[in-house]
Amino acid sequence: MQSISPPASRSLADDIRGRSDEELTALLAARPDLARPAPSDLTALAARSSTRASTARAIDALDTAHLQALEAAAVGAGATTTADLTRRLGADDPTLVDNLREELWRVALVWRAPEGLVVTRTTLEVLGESVAGLGPVAADLPGGAAPSDERIREIAADAPPRARAILDRLMWGPPLGIVPAEDSPGRPGPADDGPRWLVANGLVRAIAADQIVLPREVALVLRDGLVHRDPHLVPPSVTGPQRQPEAVDAAAGASASEVLALLDDLLDSWSQNPPRVLRTGGLAVRDLKAASAHLDTTPEHTAYLVELALIADLVADDGEVDPHWVPTAEYDAWQTEPGGERWARLALAWLSTTRAPHRVGSRSDASAVVNALGSDVQWPPIRSLRRAVLDLLGSVDGAIAPTAGDLAEAVRWHRPRRVPRTLDAVVEAVLREASWLGITGHGALSVAGRALLESDGEVDVVAESIHPHLPAPVDAVLLQADLTAIAPGPVTGSLAAFLRMVADVESRGGATVHRFSEDSIRRCLDTGWTGDDILAGLRDASSTPVPQPLEYLVRDVARRHGTVRVRGVGAVIRSEDEAGLDVMLAHKRLAPIQLRRIAPTVLTSPASPEVVLEMLREEGFSPVAESASGVVAVPSRPVRRAVRQRAIDPALVQAIDRAQLGSLVAGLRAAESQAQARAAGAAGGGRVGPAIPANDPTTSMAVLREAIADGRAVWLGYSDGLGQTQRMLFHPDRLDGGRVSGVSEGVTRTLSIHRITGVVPN
Amino acid sequence: MTDGALIVQSDKTLLLEVDHPRSAEARRAIAPFAELERAPEHIHTYRITPLGLWNARAAGHDAEQVVDALVTHSRYPVPHALLIDVADTMARYGRLTLLKDDDGRLVLRSTDRAVLAEVLRHKRIKPLIGEHLDEDNVVVHPSERGHLKQELLKVGWPAEDEAGYVDGEAHQIDLDQSEGWSLRPYQEQAVDGFWDGGSGVVVLPCGAGKTLVGAGAMAKASATTLILVTNTVSARQWKDELLRRTSLTEDEIGEYSGARKEIRPVTIATYQVLTTRRKGVYTHLDLLDARDWGLVVYDEVHLLPAPIFRMTADLQARRRLGLTATLVREDGLESDVFSLIGPKRFDAPWKDIEAQGYIAPADCVEVRVTLPDGQRMAYAVADAEDRYRLASCSDAKLPVVEKLVARHRGEPTLVIGQYLDQLDELAGRLDADVITGETTVAERQRLFGAFRTGQIDLLVVSKVANFSIDLPEASVAIQVSGTFGSRQEEAQRLGRVLRPKGDGRTAHFYTVVARDTVDAEFAAHRQRFLAEQGYAYRIIDASDL
Repeated sequence: MQSISPPASRSLADDIRGRSDEELTALLAARPDLARPAPSDLTALAARSSTRASTARAIDALDTAHLQALEAAAVGAGATTTADLTRRLGADDPTLVDNLREELWRVALVWRAPEGLVVTRTTLEVLGESVAGLGPVAADLPGGAAPSDERIREIAADAPPRARAILDRLMWGPPLGIVPAEDSPGRPGPADDGPRWLVANGLVRAIAADQIVLPREVALVLRDGLVHRDPHLVPPSVTGPQRQPEAVDAAAGASASEVLALLDDLLDSWSQNPPRVLRTGGLAVRDLKAASAHLDTTPEHTAYLVELALIADLVADDGEVDPHWVPTAEYDAWQTEPGGERWARLALAWLSTTRAPHRVGSRSDASAVVNALGSDVQWPPIRSLRRAVLDLLGSVDGAIAPTAGDLAEAVRWHRPRRVPRTLDAVVEAVLREASWLGITGHGALSVAGRALLESDGEVDVVAESIHPHLPAPVDAVLLQADLTAIAPGPVTGSLAAFLRMVADVESRGGATVHRFSEDSIRRCLDTGWTGDDILAGLRDASSTPVPQPLEYLVRDVARRHGTVRVRGVGAVIRSEDEAGLDVMLAHKRLAPIQLRRIAPTVLTSPASPEVVLEMLREEGFSPVAESASGVVAVPSRPVRRAVRQRAIDPALVQAIDRAQLGSLVAGLRAAESQAQARAAGAAGGGRVGPAIPANDPTTSMAVLREAIADGRAVWLGYSDGLGQTQRMLFHPDRLDGGRVSGVSEGVTRTLSIHRITGVVPN
Repeated sequence: MTDGALIVQSDKTLLLEVDHPRSAEARRAIAPFAELERAPEHIHTYRITPLGLWNARAAGHDAEQVVDALVTHSRYPVPHALLIDVADTMARYGRLTLLKDDDGRLVLRSTDRAVLAEVLRHKRIKPLIGEHLDEDNVVVHPSERGHLKQELLKVGWPAEDEAGYVDGEAHQIDLDQSEGWSLRPYQEQAVDGFWDGGSGVVVLPCGAGKTLVGAGAMAKASATTLILVTNTVSARQWKDELLRRTSLTEDEIGEYSGARKEIRPVTIATYQVLTTRRKGVYTHLDLLDARDWGLVVYDEVHLLPAPIFRMTADLQARRRLGLTATLVREDGLESDVFSLIGPKRFDAPWKDIEAQGYIAPADCVEVRVTLPDGQRMAYAVADAEDRYRLASCSDAKLPVVEKLVARHRGEPTLVIGQYLDQLDELAGRLDADVITGETTVAERQRLFGAFRTGQIDLLVVSKVANFSIDLPEASVAIQVSGTFGSRQEEAQRLGRVLRPKGDGRTAHFYTVVARDTVDAEFAAHRQRFLAEQGYAYRIIDASDL
């Protein structure tokens, strides 16, 4: 793609038009946003490539080397030659600089003018005013052009210590300094040894009474022509202790196997006791704690497992009125798959999720705690960060276990403009999650992890890669007299389900220790197993005979289990006449009340006592009702009575004395005449005052202001609290804050301008 | 994945598969740093605790050995975090050392200034520290040596005590091996382990000859010795054993108990007399300074009462030997044992010693008795605090005990219980003598003597018999009630019948419990302990007897 003498252009559009098909393809591949939707022609492509959004995107995608090269090109006025670039970057390898320059041209952030490379205008805008900590050029600052480079060196060499210290502070940016009042360059006074000296000698410029700025030319000279203090043109190397590849894969396999077992255990318990969905959508902290206690894992690990179950679609909100987190149908399918496939689905889901499980338990922006499974766990940048970390792990050869700090440094180099503040924590979280999942072992990328990164989402390939490293599942446990069952390896399928049911997990790891207890056996019996079933199951599951104490425990619990039975009935029929009860049982017409005999003298029915009494009476029996405590309830065929309605007291008319009546009438009369007087006043000539037009508030205010200035009254319409428009003659005397105050009908009032419908000068 | 005998769990337990061809090798590799927690038939469980790791450090093992042992023998990959944790924990021991400087002052020295700075900032440690000599050394007042070690352990930076011991007043003590006996190999190892370590605890099962380990240590020290034991009977037995096995004579051994207050070159004192207080003052504290003791022996360390720990804190300049069957304390004061008496210096799994033929194999049987209906009713309505007594004293147990006694007629049999009226009733029905706390010492010794010589083969004893009495020929123990399922007590009781038998007969240990009551629940605790110790136990119904 690099031609021997690149054609020179006169503009970016010109440059793009001059590119070969291959070069255009490369540009579109590097900046896919330019291709969608397809631009109509090359001019349109050039225009689109120089939009601010697209340029910012392209710059964000640069690594530190390219970004520094771009900045180095951007600081010079006009075109930049390769020689300039090499010098400004302090590079000693011209091929390196050539490559950087070519790449910047390829992505169209710079174009080739006859004089050299030109940075596009939008790129300059996106990079901002202070590129690489440099100030504006001197010509744009008060004081005009900068002295020559020679002169700058001389002045700087002669600078008094205080001035030198200021130069040293401003040299690498930020270029702006605030000076204390006594040093203010704006103050008249002798050119002392501080800021005033620098301003006087033209090395810094005063841009305000207390602000000075170091012009770009001066800074570059002070920097010896370098743009960056620490040019990072090659990526930092990622190294770390070497691990045994077999050990790495074995450890990864063990973690993978553990994650599968933990998820099985978690989702099995959620199948029976699903936790509620919070109103805000997440999982309650208490439920997370309960899961943590159940699995005996740390809260972070539990949060990760719970999130993993969600992103792999193994649990979901069941959408009921009272919603719960419940395993999905996919979970059932997932459970039956071989270990490798199960792992592959988890790993692929994790790799592409935008959820960041490590945020669970932290505070979100709204300072609420982030709940697992909630929407605050979503954090889209995590996907590319995770990928970046894993790709870096994958970029080293062999089983190397780099530290989180090194990796964070490398991530920062690769995407300097796109690192979150919490990068170190994020990298640590990614590594932690990768090791929990078995993508890494002993801190190094496992074979399966590498396969995952290289796969294109194919489950088979990934499953194939983890399969040899998963510990082989065991098909038998060891039963011991201390009432434990030890599975010396992972257990799967029906054996795992059986053990989960009859025993409680006591410790996990390479093996699982299950403990039998009365409670665990009873729990199993409650689900319909019998003591013999359990013992048969134990015999099948064990490679050793069932120890006598365990057998005794099972039989003992089974013996007592169910000796007390509970059933719900609607009515109980008692009679000393067993033959009579036989008749009832045999009676066809009594079939609907489903009589059952539970003792020679006791029948039960699911129907209510009233129905049973009624039916029995109809069939010629003569039952009496009994209360719950067994006492005959006297047939209280209730005589119905209503509660007396409270009668309304008759109205009493109290006599009024004449004096009272007199004053009442006088009052009425007065009110009447007042109303008439008002009506007469309003009717005089139709209405008082001129017609009031509807003005906009600006006009109203202008009229009011004028009236205030002239000391005159105005007629205005004012919509009152009830929405009716009142007309009034108003003597305004002050207008401010959207309100006008003045006197109307002798009363001082303050009116809101927005309620004034119109104003007319009187 | 190797084919190791060990499985490392995430909760820091180690599962050792007993039948694995390399299990013995793996056991040897992990024994120095992991505590054996359970030893049932197929898989033994060890636990890695900070105390265990520090014990290993004290014995000269380093983290590399521990990690290597885990990695070599583990069947599955060992979690990386666990290995790091092991290394970190072990590295904490030895950063701080207590030693005597050239001027003879007791000094706390650190190889890590940050650690020293950290511990010195602790508000409970600050008052124990004297002058700061330089950045690495601070003076410690000799009287605070024990307290300082306790506090340092609490904050997770245990100090290595290399300050040495006073020699004490020399006193010639030799083992008298003329009668054709000698220390058994493991007893020798225990004595050597203790002596090399300076101070510490030797863990041996009952009946494995702890007294002899004590005598061996006394012979090594050849200095005046203070022996602290649990009670008077135990004191007399120590005395008899020492007279028999060492060059010590009657005049050289004193008893310091409620009854007698003798202070001689070898003095045996009971915990009880030491912890007696009058008006809030320990009246017999002077004993500790009465002579310049060269060795202090603590019998049954796991029963050591808390005040004795406080007194021991002041005895740090003297060599201390702790003897016990178990480091498990019901009160969780294991860390005080570690910091005040010393790290574990020797430990042997019971089963191993049994396999060597020194303790009789035991057959543990739990007999379940169904309460008659009337008693079930009484039990159901009883207050919670009365329930245990009601259940364990049920007279339904009496015929069962009779049957068991009859079955083993002629074998030395002990019936052990908690409640005196129950014991009296039993004694009446069985026509046997009773020993309780009220029995005089002379009577006790007469009965024990008769039992030992075989004149009587049945004794009913209360809990006083639990501790430190020696009944060499008891081969059947029947327990009718106990104290609320204490594991410690179980170890003691089992120990009673596990003393070496002349003819290698099987010992029998019966527990009679009332079915479906709190008695059975407590029994379950005890069973678990027995099963964990590797004793096969069976449960049978009384009707199947």
